[in-house]
Amino acid sequence: MSDVKERSPNQLLLIGIIGGLIGIYLTYILPAISMRISGNSVIMQNVSGLLNVIAPTFGALGGICAVLWGADAVRRVAKYGLGTGVPSIGQIAMGMGIIAAMFGLAIVKTIVLAGPIVALVTASILGFIVGWFAQNVIKMKIPVMIRCMTEIAASGTIIIIGFSAAVAGNFEFANIVTLVFDNGVMLAVFWVGAVAMLHPFNACLGPDEKQKRLLYLAGSTGAITMAIIGIAAIMTLGASGVLTLVLGIVLWIIFYKKFWDEVYHDASSVVGTGLIPKTEA
Amino acid sequence: MVAIDPTLLTNILLIGLSGTLICLAVHFIPVGGAPAAMAQATGIGTGTVELAAGSGLVGLITASYMYAYEPLASIPLVMAAGAMGSMVMLASTMFAGGLIYAYGVAVPFASAQVKKDPITGDRQDTYISKGTQGQGLPTICFVSGIVGAALGGIGGALIYYVLVGIYGQLISATSAAAVAGVFTLGVFYVNAVVPSYGVGGTIEGVHDPKFKRVVGKDIFTSFFVSILCGLLAVLIAGGISP
Repeated sequence: MSDVKERSPNQLLLIGIIGGLIGIYLTYILPAISMRISGNSVIMQNVSGLLNVIAPTFGALGGICAVLWGADAVRRVAKYGLGTGVPSIGQIAMGMGIIAAMFGLAIVKTIVLAGPIVALVTASILGFIVGWFAQNVIKMKIPVMIRCMTEIAASGTIIIIGFSAAVAGNFEFANIVTLVFDNGVMLAVFWVGAVAMLHPFNACLGPDEKQKRLLYLAGSTGAITMAIIGIAAIMTLGASGVLTLVLGIVLWIIFYKKFWDEVYHDASSVVGTGLIPKTEA
Repeated sequence: MVAIDPTLLTNILLIGLSGTLICLAVHFIPVGGAPAAMAQATGIGTGTVELAAGSGLVGLITASYMYAYEPLASIPLVMAAGAMGSMVMLASTMFAGGLIYAYGVAVPFASAQVKKDPITGDRQDTYISKGTQGQGLPTICFVSGIVGAALGGIGGALIYYVLVGIYGQLISATSAAAVAGVFTLGVFYVNAVVPSYGVGGTIEGVHDPKFKRVVGKDIFTSFFVSILCGLLAVLIAGGISP
């Protein structure tokens, strides 16, 4: 594009997959560790209690990593002009993501740890097939279509599993069904997650669009999603939800300030125009 | 692993069929996109996905209501409930949009794709403002939209009916409804977006020449993808423990 240094797609892919999966797995591993160390001493009991409280929050942090990746993938494919607006690709991402997430988490039965990986692989396959059809049957003539559709579906599934785990405490399917599906929180995860992913490019698109600005905005939409998920988690998990909510708001302020600074930096000048005059000249 | 039996295959095929119905529905709905929002093209002024999903999800709500409160509800009854919900939703959207186009923007309703309205026979081309692709919602678009909404509602209701039937035997009724509803949502979005790429964002309805050009390949794509989704949905049942 220009001489401005950009994060490469592969770099963001790694951030999304590794960051996302670490976050998701920590929601499962930390409680296991706390179970192991909860001994007789008071300090150990406190530490294990603390680990139990902070564990679900990592799911939401993993979700933010996936939002960054997904937003950049949306940026790369939507740049070509889809003809249907940017929101459509965010919604198909979540549609494929949720199908793959449910499949991956449910199919593994007792081997819970394999769930997120199976979901990720399923989403990639589903995304690849939809991308292949869009490119070769519908003939959209977008060179990055197949790759980006795969990435978008995969990041969609990590977003869904990450934020669901933040609400349910871990990613066991039975647990997610009772704590995320039955009370309808899943719809919030679905919609807010989709907006978090599609909004950055939808807001930033245009000839002056820059990746750095978009990624800061993606961070802020991811963080505000985390805050909303935190409210839901207060309902289901209590203390962990408060932590998710507070951390989400803090991250949102940080990222939004960064985005704000970028906007000021990129604009040629920022001037106040005053109010609209009451009488027309 | 789940054993392969005829019921299973029927379920997968039904989900594939309903996904295809949703895809077909999108082609019937007069979607104008951003140009229509400025009254420079025929159709409703928003995107394909928003319209198809908006009407389809209302259909899903009415269908699930029928399923939940009428224990004897058969497939046709649930599908009819879904179709009614979608039709009412899209009709009210088009009616409200039409009021704004007629009395707010003050444009005559005309289609740029046909010379005469196939239903009323009224002449169209003389009413089109210069430099636009038609305006508002002529009769044919309205009727086409209603037909499309019915198809979408039937499709959504059918997936829901099949999935609740599968999951209802394994988990509690509430959970089954929630899981089936969310899965339907996912299939719905995939099948609403795929054809909207096919039509390139805007279509006037069944009379649009674009309809014949793209409907075949979109339906092929949707059928394949929905069969895949159906397979995943049935396999999920194998992983859910009662």
